[in-house]
Amino acid sequence: MEAVLKNLSSTAELLAVAARSSVVEQWDKQTLSRAFHWARYCEHLFSRFHNNTTINRVMGKQLELTNESLRAVFPGYTDICFSDLFQCQHLLLIGLLKNPDLPISIMKILFDTASPVNNQQSDYLDVTGFCSHIIQCKSACKVLSPLTDLSGADVEVQGAVLMERLEDLLSGGGEACRTEHIVNSFLQEGEGASGHFCLVIAAALLTRNNSAAAAAQTASQDCLLDWLQKEQNVLQQMCSALPTTLIIDLAKRHLKCRDAYCDVLKKWASSMEYSMSEGEWVQANTNRTVSFQRLTEHFLALFAACPSLREDVEKELNVLNISDGDFDVRGLSVWGDLLSAINK
Amino acid sequence: MSVSLVYMILTYDLSPLESSTMSQLLQRTQPLLDVPALQFWLDKAVAWGQADRPDTLKDTCLHMSRLKDYLQQLLTHINNMSSTSETMKRLPLLGQFLGRLCWNPCVTADAPGRWLLFQCLWGLYSEHPGDAVEAKANQWIRKVLCQLATEEDDAAAQALMKRTGVPPKEYHVKVLRKMVAMLQENIGKSCSSLVDINYRCSCDNLLAVSEACVPLVSLPEAAPLIRALLQQPATCVRAALSQDFLDALTSAYSSKCVLLEEQEVVSLWYHSLSSLEEAVLSLLECVLPDTGYTPQELKRQLAQSLLPKACAQHCSIFLVVNDIFRSFLKQAEGNESLKYLIQTFSSCFFRELALLQHKTSGSLKASFPQSPQSLLIPLWTRPSEMPQEAWRHHLNWLSCSLQRLTEEEEEGDEDGSRSPRGHLRVFEAWFLLIQCAHWVQVAVQLLATSQPEDCGPPLWLLTFYHHPTNRGHHRASQLVHAKEAWDHLCSLFLAHPLPVDRVQSLVTLLSPKPQPTSPSPFLILSLLVNFCVFFQQSLSGSTEILQTVVNRSGLVNEAVCVLSSLELRLNEDSCLSSDTNRVHLRIKALQNTLTHMCAALNPANTHTQTLITEPRSRKFILDAGFLRAPLQNDK
Repeated sequence: MEAVLKNLSSTAELLAVAARSSVVEQWDKQTLSRAFHWARYCEHLFSRFHNNTTINRVMGKQLELTNESLRAVFPGYTDICFSDLFQCQHLLLIGLLKNPDLPISIMKILFDTASPVNNQQSDYLDVTGFCSHIIQCKSACKVLSPLTDLSGADVEVQGAVLMERLEDLLSGGGEACRTEHIVNSFLQEGEGASGHFCLVIAAALLTRNNSAAAAAQTASQDCLLDWLQKEQNVLQQMCSALPTTLIIDLAKRHLKCRDAYCDVLKKWASSMEYSMSEGEWVQANTNRTVSFQRLTEHFLALFAACPSLREDVEKELNVLNISDGDFDVRGLSVWGDLLSAINK
Repeated sequence: MSVSLVYMILTYDLSPLESSTMSQLLQRTQPLLDVPALQFWLDKAVAWGQADRPDTLKDTCLHMSRLKDYLQQLLTHINNMSSTSETMKRLPLLGQFLGRLCWNPCVTADAPGRWLLFQCLWGLYSEHPGDAVEAKANQWIRKVLCQLATEEDDAAAQALMKRTGVPPKEYHVKVLRKMVAMLQENIGKSCSSLVDINYRCSCDNLLAVSEACVPLVSLPEAAPLIRALLQQPATCVRAALSQDFLDALTSAYSSKCVLLEEQEVVSLWYHSLSSLEEAVLSLLECVLPDTGYTPQELKRQLAQSLLPKACAQHCSIFLVVNDIFRSFLKQAEGNESLKYLIQTFSSCFFRELALLQHKTSGSLKASFPQSPQSLLIPLWTRPSEMPQEAWRHHLNWLSCSLQRLTEEEEEGDEDGSRSPRGHLRVFEAWFLLIQCAHWVQVAVQLLATSQPEDCGPPLWLLTFYHHPTNRGHHRASQLVHAKEAWDHLCSLFLAHPLPVDRVQSLVTLLSPKPQPTSPSPFLILSLLVNFCVFFQQSLSGSTEILQTVVNRSGLVNEAVCVLSSLELRLNEDSCLSSDTNRVHLRIKALQNTLTHMCAALNPANTHTQTLITEPRSRKFILDAGFLRAPLQNDK
């Protein structure tokens, strides 16, 4: 452990030196490779221990000490914490590229358009073309993205990554609150992200893993579903914002989704009032997320996908209609009108 | 010019005014990279950067190769300039142009494009900046590169990376792989639009996807998508791949920037004529003179080539390859290496075809639409597929049929009704014979053991093989001379001691400058070698004859070639007879003799004749149409 902590310190120092010191003028290809090797080592440390609160704390303390001494040496030094280390190589890279003393020969190595062979894993990874490869991937994504669907590959990837992290957590001792922490943190990104966020959740729930990790995936998807059921507004957002086909896929895939979806629809219906001026059922609350027409379409789509549900739901609607008086006139009971709309 | 005048000019000091005029003059005469061209490309770059519409990306991809050529010119220009300040003075818009290209994903995704762009930037970087312009340029270059490599413009992605601990590089690679997988899936969906042309199938997508892949051909993560594109069966009318994509892939493949699997290469050839032509031409480089490929080496080259397999899989590929062979043949009738290559190619093709278990006759007919159909199967049948006793009969039949065919055409000629169609028939028959030259080899072998009354048809076949056109009606005398050679050989091998005059006559026939009326020296040489191997004569006797004749005529290398190809054929056909062992031993012994003779020859004095004719260039072949009048005007 001692050695690990020492290495951690050294790497933090390395990052500072790379970003702020003129020592980089002396760097050559070997030094560069070694630097990235250490950065990779720290990334590895992060992935091993970030779930472990004890070690997390120990590492954090060590970094605090290192930060203190570095602050003394470098004016304007920004602290580094353990949770930053997931992208240690990236931090190293930014530091180096922003350092005006970095020799141009080093930059040329990083931006060399290397042949594919160089990117294979080896003991001391060759960093030739490190930046070139990043640029190539980012550009390739931009070139291909007009051809891909509405939901896009980035959403699917984000969904898949979310699943991976949840699986990690659950397999590592199941700290349920951390699950919520991760998923909740998406919400904190503000309104703009919420539509996107719904897509990510949907993608996460729809990921299919054919390998042996299927059980772990089911467990984490269940976890996510449980969380979802507690977050009614997210659920409602999903049902109104997502394309119907996507919701139907979710309903077909997960029973909990199907039931939750059905519940949302019923909740929407119950919140409706008949408006004389518009001659139609509308939602009573100020933000009208769904129209009567749309609600009917939702029901029909759900029944088309899950025919077994139809009978039960119709029975339920009937009961509610009867309790409303069982009149045959339009505009008196939302349930009655819903029934007749569905059965048209 | 007198010396004094020269001296004056050299030492004359130009006044400042004159020197500036002089430099202006120099400037105008130097081929400047003109500003209008840069303006054109800058406008293009601005247009491309304007919107993220799919057609701007498409337009960039379409212009990629010309853009790269221009960048290469710019790079040369930048490197020729003495300083960045000077470059910027000459081309003030350069910085803006390069900057815009940096943010164009098509340019930065494409490996050669990116390389050129970065090289231009490095070219503008000054190790020791001399003025403010250069210092600023340095700063700008560092900034742009830093931004390109590290900036994240997607806030949601950044948040996810942080929350889930996925570093940026890994994230982007994941997204790319996912995109490739999604697109690949879409392409994989089969299309049944044969039913209704108005039905929208996923094949519409193919063109768009292939266009987008133009900058991505050498990207390893995109390889699965490229593979899927290439392997799409072209059953749907809309399933077309972009030509730019095919060209980009071809050039990446030939410059070894991308590794393609066998099936992908075959698909590429199938879709892109130019890439197929390039492959065939590089194969044919083996048979250019001065390369000195032996039969074994040619065979090895062909064994490594994917062309025979591709031909077996796609009839259209075989037809193109054959057309290229025809062109080459028309330029060089006497090129024995070429003929041997074609023969070996055909047998590789035959083997591949058999492996694919096609119904031989059906696909054969499709593969040889221009050949005389009556001769196709008989020629194509290999000697190993029939008993040795049947060879002579079969050969006679072949010879007579061919003879009849040529006589028909030549009769038409005599009438003055010169039909090019007729000459085409003769050419096609000859071409087919070259491909099935195993029968010619059998003819020569049989001639070594024939009686005088039997040697007519095989001799005719042999003569026709070496001299398909009856130029100036020389065939009759060529036949006579061939028979003479055969006679000489018979007496050489029967007589003891060696009759000197016969040897001399033979050597004369093998002379380097053959008369138009005498047969090709190669014909005679192959007769000689076959006699040495197959004639019932002692080894020492045969060796002596071979040594003497070859020594006098100086055709050692050629003799080695003939012997090698004979050995190869016998190995391949592997027809076991009581004779086989004896034959092989004899061949080995003769080879040893010849090898010693080769070694004994003074390397500085290699006055060995080559029976291969003048070189040809690729461009020439491609420019010349495939169809040319076979007959050339002669004396």
